[in-house]
Amino acid sequence: MRLHRLTLRNFRGVQDRTVDLPAIGTTVIVGDNEVGKSSLVEAFALVFDFPDDSKSTRIRDVQPVGQDVAPEVTVELTLGGRELTYTKRWLKNRSTELSIVDADGRRQTWTGREAHNEAERLFAENVDPVLWQTLMVGQGQSLVLPTPADAEPLITAVTAESGTPVDGASMPLVIAVEHEYLRYWTRGGRPTGEFAKSAQYVAAAELAAEQALKAMDEVVADIRRAERLALDLADLSGRLEAHLESVEDLRERKKATDEILLRRDSIRSRAETARARLENHTRTRLERERLLAEVDQFTKADTELAERRKDAETVARKAAEIVHAAEAALAEVVELKDERRAEVQDVERLVTSLMDRAELDRLLGQQAELVDVRARIAAAGAVLDAISVDDAVVIALEDARAKLVEARAALAAGVPEVLVRRTGAEAVSLSGTGLDAGSGKKVPASLSEDGEVELLVSGELVIGVPGQVEVKVRAGGEAATLRAVVDEAVRREKDLLKKARVKDLPAARELLRKSDQASAELQEARRTERSLTAGGDPAERIAVLAARLGVVDGEEPAEEPSAKQAAVESVPGQMSLFEQFEPDENAFDFEDLEIPEPVEIGELPVAQRRLDSARAGLAEAERLLRDAEFAAAQARKAADEDRSEAQQARARSELAAERLAAAVEALEAARAVLDDEGVEAAEIEATTEVEAVLEELTAVQEQVDAAGADEVAGELADALAVATRLQGERDVLRDSLRTTEGRLEQSGRDGLATRRDTAELDLAAIRAEHEALKRRADAARRVHETLGRHRAEAQTKYSEPLQTRIESLGRSVYGPSFRVWLDDDLAVAERELDGARLRVEALSTGAQEQLAIITRLAISHLVSTGAGSVPVIFDDALGWSDKARLRDMGALLGRAGDHGQVIILTCMPDRYEYVPRATFIKLDS
Amino acid sequence: MNDSITFLHSSDWQLGMMRRFLGPDGQARWAQARLDAVMRIGAVAKDTGAAFVVVTGDVFEHNQVERQTILRACEALKRIEVPVVLLPGNHDALEPGSLWSSAQWLGHAPDHVRVVTDSLPFEIVPGVEIVGAPWRSRRPLSDPAAPGYSELSPAPAGTTRILLAHGQLTSLSGGMSDVPTIDQAALEAAVADGRLHYVGLGDRHSTTEVTDRIWFSGTQEVTAPEETHPGNVLKVTLDAAGIEVEPVRVGAWHMVEHHAELYDEESITALEDWFAELPEKERTYVRLAADGSLPLPLLSRLDAMVDAQGEVFASVERWAKFWTVRPAPDAADLDALQLSGPARAAMEELRQALAGGDESAGAALTLMHRLARDAG
Repeated sequence: MRLHRLTLRNFRGVQDRTVDLPAIGTTVIVGDNEVGKSSLVEAFALVFDFPDDSKSTRIRDVQPVGQDVAPEVTVELTLGGRELTYTKRWLKNRSTELSIVDADGRRQTWTGREAHNEAERLFAENVDPVLWQTLMVGQGQSLVLPTPADAEPLITAVTAESGTPVDGASMPLVIAVEHEYLRYWTRGGRPTGEFAKSAQYVAAAELAAEQALKAMDEVVADIRRAERLALDLADLSGRLEAHLESVEDLRERKKATDEILLRRDSIRSRAETARARLENHTRTRLERERLLAEVDQFTKADTELAERRKDAETVARKAAEIVHAAEAALAEVVELKDERRAEVQDVERLVTSLMDRAELDRLLGQQAELVDVRARIAAAGAVLDAISVDDAVVIALEDARAKLVEARAALAAGVPEVLVRRTGAEAVSLSGTGLDAGSGKKVPASLSEDGEVELLVSGELVIGVPGQVEVKVRAGGEAATLRAVVDEAVRREKDLLKKARVKDLPAARELLRKSDQASAELQEARRTERSLTAGGDPAERIAVLAARLGVVDGEEPAEEPSAKQAAVESVPGQMSLFEQFEPDENAFDFEDLEIPEPVEIGELPVAQRRLDSARAGLAEAERLLRDAEFAAAQARKAADEDRSEAQQARARSELAAERLAAAVEALEAARAVLDDEGVEAAEIEATTEVEAVLEELTAVQEQVDAAGADEVAGELADALAVATRLQGERDVLRDSLRTTEGRLEQSGRDGLATRRDTAELDLAAIRAEHEALKRRADAARRVHETLGRHRAEAQTKYSEPLQTRIESLGRSVYGPSFRVWLDDDLAVAERELDGARLRVEALSTGAQEQLAIITRLAISHLVSTGAGSVPVIFDDALGWSDKARLRDMGALLGRAGDHGQVIILTCMPDRYEYVPRATFIKLDS
Repeated sequence: MNDSITFLHSSDWQLGMMRRFLGPDGQARWAQARLDAVMRIGAVAKDTGAAFVVVTGDVFEHNQVERQTILRACEALKRIEVPVVLLPGNHDALEPGSLWSSAQWLGHAPDHVRVVTDSLPFEIVPGVEIVGAPWRSRRPLSDPAAPGYSELSPAPAGTTRILLAHGQLTSLSGGMSDVPTIDQAALEAAVADGRLHYVGLGDRHSTTEVTDRIWFSGTQEVTAPEETHPGNVLKVTLDAAGIEVEPVRVGAWHMVEHHAELYDEESITALEDWFAELPEKERTYVRLAADGSLPLPLLSRLDAMVDAQGEVFASVERWAKFWTVRPAPDAADLDALQLSGPARAAMEELRQALAGGDESAGAALTLMHRLARDAG
C-alpha cells in the first residue's frame, strides 16, 4: 500500500487541507500542535472503518465544534496494484465514492454502501491488520516495541528467506506438551504434583514396610530363641533330676555315719578339756621356775651393782680435784697475760705520742705559711676592691680630655683674646662674663701693678680705670656657642673622674696599673693556699693533735698590714682603703699553743722496737692461756662424765634392790598357795589323763576313716551346692523362656505377620502406581525436551532474517558491537552493545525508542518487496534522543525511505533535520 | 473295617494370606472368598453326610495373623457341623508363640474343632482312628510325616486309620525343596501293610492323587495362576471294598495367565475377544504377558483396553517380566497428525531413537502421538 494524497474538509480543526505524499522516500510533515497532523492518520482510519451513515461518536468527535458542517475525507492510494480514490462525507449530505483504476488502466466506480464495502474488502485483502498496526505508530506509541509474530506478510517474508516453515499449526501441540510436562515437573525440572506426592508416598510406605518387616524378624528371632531355650531347659531339667537323686543317696549314707561322728566329737571335747588342764598345770610350774630364777638373778645383780657404784664415786672425786688444779694454773696464766697486755698498751701510747708530735711540727710549719698566704690574698683582694678604675674608665677619661682640649682650642680661635696689662698705678678693674684666664685660672677682679692677665672673652669684658676710662670688649656671635661646648667638655670630664673616684687622668692610669698588679698577686697566692690546704685545713689537725698532746702556750702570732696600706695610699687623689681589711675569723687561735720540743731523731724507732717485743710477749702469754684453758676444759669434761657415771651406778643399784624385793615377795605369795612339790605333782597327773583320752580318740578316728564319714559330709555339701546352682540356671532359663513366649503371645495378638503383609501389599501398590507415573513423567520430559530443542533451533533460524535486518540497521547507529535476540513473537527481547547484554526493559527510554523505531524500519524493509507492504508512519517520535543519536537515526530514517514510504508527523522539525533526501511538508494553522 | 465311612479332606486354607497383584480392593474380596469356601466345605459335609472334616496343614498363613482373621476363621468353622480336625503345618507350626496356644484361638475355637498337637492316635468317630504329624517347627529335621506312623503297628481289626501329614513328597518336589520331604515309598509301605488306610496330605495347592489312598486335597480357593486344580475339597469314602475319592469344587475364583502376540489390529481384536470370553470376571485375576510391536494408534488402543479390563476384572496385571510390546510408528502415523516444522522433527527424532533401541523413546513417542492427536 502507498498513500498519495489526503484531503480533509471540516475535520476537527481543519477546514480544508490537502497533503500530497511522495510514493517513495521519507516525508516529514511539520506542523505546530493542534494544526491537525494526527487528524491525517485518524482520517485515514475512519474513512475505511465507518460508513457514511455511521452515528459513531468517533465520527461526531471529528465534526468541528459548533459548526453544522459535514466532515469529509478524500484519500488517494495504491492498493494491491490498483489506484484508488476514495471520498466519504459523514453526518450531512452523506456520500461515499470509490473510483479504482486497475493495472490495465480500466476504471471502475462505486457509490454509497457498495463503495464502502468494496473499499473495505480491498483493504482487508491487501493490508495485514497486524502489520498495519505495527508500522503505524500513533502519538506516545513510539516506545512500544512491536510484536509482529502474526503479521502474515512478515511471516511470509521470513519464511521465504529462512526456508523454515512457520510452526503455527503445531502451537496447540506445544501447549499440550508444556501442559503435560508441568503436570509432573516444575519449570526448574523438579518433580511436582501427583508425581512428587507419589514419591513421598513410596518413601512413607517403604518406611512402614521396613518397620513391619523388622518387627516380624524380631518375632522369628524370638521363636528361634524360644525353641533353643526350650531345648536347653529340657536338657537342664534332666540333669537336675539325675543330680537330685545322687544327693538323696549321699543323705542316706550320711545318716549312717553320723553316730560315729557324734562319738568322736564327744571324745574330742574331752581331750580338749584334759589338754587344757594339762596346759594350766604346766603354766603354773613354769611360772614357779621363773620366780625362783628371778630372785636368784636379782640377788646377783644387786651385789654387783653396789660394787660398781662405789668405784664410780671414787673416780668422780679424783676428777674433781684435777679440775681444781687446772683452774688454779689457768688463773696464773691469765694474770701474766694481763700484765703483758698492759705493757703493750703503754708502749703503743708512747709511739703514738711521738708520731703525733712529729706530725704537729710539720703542720705548724704549714700553718705559718698558710697564714702568710692568706694575708696576701686579703691584701690583694682589698686593693682590688678599693680600686674602681678599669681599662674602660681610663679610655673614657682620655676621650673626655681630648674633647675638652679640642673645645678650648676652638674657643681660643673663635673669641677675642685680650691681654690686659697694668702699666700704671691706677687700679685696673676687670669684670664681665664669659671670661677665661685659661687652664682654670681665676680671673682677678683687678690687676696688681705690672700685673697682666690674658683673657679669652666669650661674653663681655669690662676693663675699667676708675674715673678715667672703661673699656668694654664684647665677644662675637659664635662665642657663646663655643663657650657652651667647652663647658660641656669640662662637665663631662668632671663626671667621669667623680664616677671613677680619681683626681685626674694620670691618677686613674696609676690605679689601673696597681689593680693589674694586685690581681696577679691574688691569683698566685690563691694557688699556694690551695696547695697548702689540699690535705684539709692544718689548723683543725693542729687543734686535734694539740688536744691529744695536751700542749698550751701564751705567744701571740700577729699580722701587720702596713705594707699593704702603703701600696695604694701613695696614689694621689685616692681615698683610704683600710677600713675594708679585717683579719680572718676562722684562723686558728694560737693563744694556748705551747710548741713542744721537737722529737729527737731515733727516739721513735727505739719505741717501735720496744712495742714489737712487748707484743711478742703478749702472744706467748695468750698461747699459754689457750693451753691452760684447754687442759681445764678437758678436766671438767672428764669430771662431769665420771660424776654422771656415778649417779647412774647409784640409780641402777637402787632399782636392782627394789626388783629383788618384789621378786621375793611374789615367790612367797605363790608358795603360800601351793608349794613347789605340789606344783610338779599336779602336772604329772594331768599329763597322764591327756594321754588316756588321746588313745580313745585314735580308736574312734579309725572307725570314722573306715566308714569314710568325713568324705560323705563333704560330698553331700558339694552336691547340694551343685543342685542349687543347677536349680538357679533352670530358673533363669525358665524365666527367659517365659519372657520370650510372653513377647511372642503379644506379637501374635498384634498380628504382626498380617501387618507386614499389609504393609508390603500397600508398598507394592504404591510402587506400581509411582512406576507408572514415573514412566509418564519421563515420557513427558523427553517429549518436552526434544520438542523444545527443535523449536529453539527453528526459532533461531526463523527469526534470523528480521534479526539480521535489525542488527544491520542498528549497527549504523550503534556501531559493530550491536546485536539483538528475538523471542517467539519475533519481538526484540535482549540487546547487546560493547559486550553488555541487557533485557530491553532494562534499557534507557531513549534506547528503547530508538530500538522500537529500528525494529519497525527493519520489518518494513523485510516486507517492502512483497505485495503486503504498508507505509511506516511515526506520529511524533525521537523525543528522547540526544543530538548525536538524532543525527544517526535521521540518516537511518532517510535510508529507510529508499525501500518504501516513511511518513513522519512532528511539531519539532529540528529533530529530523538530519534526515537525508527527506520531503518536508509544512502545515499552516 | 465293615462299615463305610465318608469324610472330607481339605488343606492349605492359609487364612490371612495376601496377594500383591490383587491390589487392596481385590485382596479384601479374595480374602473373604477364601472364608466363603471354608463355609461351603460345611455345606458339602452336610450334603455328603461326611462324618468329619480333616484339614492337613496351613490352616492359617502365619502364627502371627491378625485377631480378625482368627475370629472370622472360628466363625467359618462353626458353619461346619461335623467334627473338624486341624493339623498344624509349616505356616502355622506348633512353635513357641504358635497361635494354637494363643488366648485368641483357645478363647474362640468351636468345641467340635480339634487341633492335632501330638502323634498319638485318637478316635474321631467310632471305628475311625486319626493320627497326625503336626509341624513343631518351620524347619523340621527329618521326614515331617514319619512321626505320625513310624512307631505304629497295624490298625486293630475293624479300625480305619487315617494319617494327616503336611509337606512335599520327595517324588514331586524334584529335589528342589529346602526342607526335609516326605518319603513316598515309606508311606506306600505303611498303607500296604495295613498300618494306614488313607493318607491325607497338605502343602501342595493343586488337588493331586499320589496313589488311590494318598492324596493332596489342594487349597480350597486358588492362590496363584500356576496351580492346576485348586479350589476343591476331597470327599473320601472308605469301606471294605476300597476307597473312593471325589474332588468337589468349593472355590469361586480364577487366576489365569495369558500370553499374547501383538503385531496388528487382528491380534489386538483377538486379545479383546479373549478377555470378553472369560467368565466371572469380577472374581478373576489375569496375569498378562505380551510381546510384539504395534503402530502408535494400536498401542494407544492396547493401553486403553488393558486399563479398561483392569476395571472389569478383579485384577489385570501387565506381567512386567514378559511385557515387551514396543511402539512401531510408521510414516503414515506421523503424516496423519499433519505435523510440520519442529514438531515433526522432534517426533522423527524420537522415532529414530526408538528404532535405534532406545526403549524410553517409545513411551515418549506414544505420548507425543496422543498429545498431537488430541491437540489436532
